[in-house]
Amino acid sequence: MADCCCNGKQTANLIYACSGAANTGLLADQVARKLAREGTGKMTCLAAVGAGLSGFLESARAASANLVVDGCPVSCGKKIFENQGLPFRHFVMTEYGAEKGKTPITEELIGSVSGALKAQQSCGC
Amino acid sequence: MKVQILGTGCAKCQKLEENTKAAVQALGLPAAVEKVTDIDQIMNMGVMFTPALAVDGVVKSSGKVLSKEQVTELLKGAK
Repeated sequence: MADCCCNGKQTANLIYACSGAANTGLLADQVARKLAREGTGKMTCLAAVGAGLSGFLESARAASANLVVDGCPVSCGKKIFENQGLPFRHFVMTEYGAEKGKTPITEELIGSVSGALKAQQSCGC
Repeated sequence: MKVQILGTGCAKCQKLEENTKAAVQALGLPAAVEKVTDIDQIMNMGVMFTPALAVDGVVKSSGKVLSKEQVTELLKGAK
């Protein structure tokens, strides 16, 4: 939901997931949703950024950080942000113990990966 | 030309509307300045941070209170 500038609680991070077809895309999606639920930022549509829709592009420019969560090293999300010339921080699920096409996506894995991303996000590394 | 101010009605949204109307007037544009307060419509335009400014349906700015001068420059480019 769009934050009004006057509500005193604007979250300036935006979160995007590749939500690709593989298990790693599912993990990216679920991790992004968990991060959004837990207040790290607001989830918004990577596809809309790829499509060049103006509102999404301007929102990405206004965000204090764009967190792009890709499932695998193909890194479609990263390429979308590069193509649009937008700043972003990048996370790839295969770097967090998920093997493409093999690892079952469990609640435990979603929790541990989202925890790791949150820790990285908060310390700025 | 259609100019839209997207926001739910806070002070910053009102300031952007004021600055935009002043810019439109200064440029002598035949533009209608429309205020969009419906959150669904704002979200459908992909705006995550208000206030936002759109010209002819294209969002030009989000999450900023542009000054009259900034809006003027933006509208000149959109003419």
